Amino acid sequence: MPRIAIVKFPGTNCDEDVRHVLVNVVGLYAEIVWYKEFTVNQWDAVVLPGGFSYGDWLRAGAIAARTRAVEELVEARDMGVPILGICNGFQILVEAGLLPGALLYNDTGRFVCRWVRTHIERPRGPWLALAKDGQVLDMPVAHAEGRYYIDEESYKSLLLKSPMLRYLQGFNPNGSLYDVAGVGSEDGIVFGLMPHPERASEAHLVPRGFSPGGRVIFESLSYSLKRGW
Amino acid sequence: MPLSTEEVEEIRKILGREPTEEELAMFEAQWSEHCSYKSSRLLLKLLPTEGRHVVVGPGRDAPAVKLFKDFAIVFKIESHNHPSAVDPYDGAATGIGGIVRDILTLGAKPVALLDMLYMGEPWDPHANWLIRGIVKGISDYGNRIGVPTLAGDTWFDTAFNTQPLVNVACVGVAPLSILVLGSPKPGDLIIIMGNATGRDGLLGSSFASKPLAEDTDKEIGAVQVGDPLTEKLLIDSLQILVSRGLVKYVKDLGGGGLTTAISETCADHGLGAVIELEKLHTRQKLTPLELLVSESQERMLIAVEPSKLREVEEVLRSHDVTYSIIGHFTGDGVIRVFYNKARVAEVSAKELARPRAVRRASYPPTEALKGLKPLYSLPPEPSYEEALVKLLSSPNIASKRWIYEQYDHEVGVRTVVKPGLGDAAVLRLLDGSSRGFAVKGDANPRYTSIDPFNGAANSVAECFRNLVAVGAKPIAIVDELNAGNPEKPEHFWYFEMMLKGVAWITEELRLPVVGGKVSFYNEDYRGRQVKPTTTIVGVGRVDDVSKAMTMELKESGSLIAVIGVTYPELGGSEYLFKLFGVEEGEIPRPRPASELRNATFILKAIRLGLLNAVHDISVGGLAVALAEMAVLGNLGVEVSIDSVYARGVQRVDELLFSETQARYVVEVKSDRVEELKKLAQKLGVRMSVVGRVLDKPIFTLSKSSKTILSVDLDLLKDAYNSLERAIEGGA
Repeated sequence: MPRIAIVKFPGTNCDEDVRHVLVNVVGLYAEIVWYKEFTVNQWDAVVLPGGFSYGDWLRAGAIAARTRAVEELVEARDMGVPILGICNGFQILVEAGLLPGALLYNDTGRFVCRWVRTHIERPRGPWLALAKDGQVLDMPVAHAEGRYYIDEESYKSLLLKSPMLRYLQGFNPNGSLYDVAGVGSEDGIVFGLMPHPERASEAHLVPRGFSPGGRVIFESLSYSLKRGW
Repeated sequence: MPLSTEEVEEIRKILGREPTEEELAMFEAQWSEHCSYKSSRLLLKLLPTEGRHVVVGPGRDAPAVKLFKDFAIVFKIESHNHPSAVDPYDGAATGIGGIVRDILTLGAKPVALLDMLYMGEPWDPHANWLIRGIVKGISDYGNRIGVPTLAGDTWFDTAFNTQPLVNVACVGVAPLSILVLGSPKPGDLIIIMGNATGRDGLLGSSFASKPLAEDTDKEIGAVQVGDPLTEKLLIDSLQILVSRGLVKYVKDLGGGGLTTAISETCADHGLGAVIELEKLHTRQKLTPLELLVSESQERMLIAVEPSKLREVEEVLRSHDVTYSIIGHFTGDGVIRVFYNKARVAEVSAKELARPRAVRRASYPPTEALKGLKPLYSLPPEPSYEEALVKLLSSPNIASKRWIYEQYDHEVGVRTVVKPGLGDAAVLRLLDGSSRGFAVKGDANPRYTSIDPFNGAANSVAECFRNLVAVGAKPIAIVDELNAGNPEKPEHFWYFEMMLKGVAWITEELRLPVVGGKVSFYNEDYRGRQVKPTTTIVGVGRVDDVSKAMTMELKESGSLIAVIGVTYPELGGSEYLFKLFGVEEGEIPRPRPASELRNATFILKAIRLGLLNAVHDISVGGLAVALAEMAVLGNLGVEVSIDSVYARGVQRVDELLFSETQARYVVEVKSDRVEELKKLAQKLGVRMSVVGRVLDKPIFTLSKSSKTILSVDLDLLKDAYNSLERAIEGGA
């Protein structure tokens, strides 16, 4: 059975939620690993869950990105281990340079917790193996620093060649440039997104008018770990 | 409030000598109104605190009730009114921190936070600053510790422009078998874990036990500053310590700081203690006195058997939680405090923790007559459309989205019924079953200021209905009584009447009051009390969260029914205030017998699957309840008001806007309406089918086949979503 590490930093708060979905909804083996104990060799996939690592001091994700655990993560990436960053996990991946761009304070100046509608472009890699190009995924966001920023040149040279998640028109909650909600590495092995797929994986947590759009991400992982990608 | 001369005299008598300055500070903290309940203790005995679900009643840091036979719910309410008036951001944030730590003391996992905010008018510049600061403080703190904030309550009123009421509550869950209900023993080590002690919040509970000064900036030193990251580490490390059975007693360092934590623990368990103050980890050099009464946040006391110390230290160290071992418990009932070997205090724990209760004088002010005054001459009726739009855009009724979207209300993946859609929040237990609970906070400052007895009773009733409306069986409440200066008889009267109102109706509704809090001295610098307010937080049992009800209309063609009888009860209504500026008259009468009967009916109908939506009728009355359901469901309605059961109603506005208790609006599946009627008949419930849901966005009310109101849903939607504009400005 493949083993998935959910890395927990001081202040991480969605670790148990992700474990619940991986274990009870998708049926995988997952463990919450305290950041001091995380080493690369024992895991087949890694999730950096949401929360406020180090209380968001300095900038969201900035301190966690400079820990030994993230150095190990870079090694994992080089070995082809799938890595998913959700919300604060995405912020950490961006701070660590594992994904391009930056995440700035929301244009409203406020934290926002709300269901949004996104669609996926160029799905590939272990996290999106079962998603179809253009598929609409509904999920909630919950963040204060989620306004994606990238310069135009990198947008064209990197993002437009990689898997990407975009807010549908009218659903961009934070002023993200190009409506970017999530980005992947070109091969899709590393993927990060601001919305919370673990909160959108079970029907009875979904408000009327939306559908559980996060589940395909975890099911893709399950599929990929069994079949390869 | 500094100690009175009589109190100092009493301390001399207790000690048999002159007290040291450290001892005086300990007594001042411990005997403050905030910590000792000296003015309220005698009256609080009126509240029914027992019931078959109660596991732990009032007395410990938090009460516990049995939600299911194997699962307990731990919940508590607290106020942070004074700190939030001075420093809204930190005042509100630290309120959240404190209430969460209370829940942790029983070993429960905090799974929901509620904020009940009674604030000034958004268009007043000072009030607006307070509103933004309070909400941001709760948002930044609550979000960071990973506990969803939901199911709160708000009221905007000029009375709160400078002194808001910030009431917060936390709900925790735990399997009954792991609740930490033990007592410390002599020889157990006293460990303080968490934040380093600093010079913040010195005698904060004493500051909260007197009126605010005119120049509140000078009180800033009494407000604590929060550190949510440390709080989160406390939550996580305590979960581990509890699950491994390494601690048998946990206590929060809250109001009164170390002094209160030690003296209450000792007094409650017949113990004494030896404390070596210099061992406490600190941020800066502090005097022994400061160490004793500092209210630095995010600190907890745990009692640990010496044999388990090593394991405890390992957990704390690996989780980056700082701690210090500052002494141990003894069997002799005396608290001995040393600083570098020199004795600075030696006091009997029982004497310290048990100040004499005071029976305060109480009489009604002439102003109280306004609640007895029948409304014999109402102003002429306005246009109903204008009235409805004005009511929907009132900050007291409009959608609170601007607030709840700033809170992470979904973390924990338990939130099934989310803010804005249900009368209460519904959360699942996440234990593999479909079981869960509902929770809601409620108050109506206008009611309690006009008629404190009936107003407080109505707050309980509204909370009760809100739980029922989502399909929950109410099992217990906690209350927060926010009142004026207890030394002024005409202020104290409001407190006494509110308390008696809660005691009366909870007995009638068979709803135990398992805990609560009293906040006095809520007056402005001129000595005027803010609107006395009774805040209620209730929890209810949900057997199957997938059957939980929301309020938005779901299906065109289904029918709309009103449950309960409408009386001409416009006194104290939002309608009279918003349209005519009138805040007086007899407020709606509490109707506990109807509440019980109608609740049984609603719960049964939900269980049978007869309903699509349920909404309780409260502020704004029937017309507002209907409009909210239509706006949220984005479906129009056509309602004829002739068939609404009413007694003594003479005017249309009485029918539309009276806030009569014990009523609900339900959306009935069109093919189940006969079953519902039979059920109503069987239970003796007044039910009237009044209209149907349309597939076009038009909101229409008619009387005697004549349309009296017909508006486009978009207009109502715009009014209902106007709170953001009111707070942020702009078109």
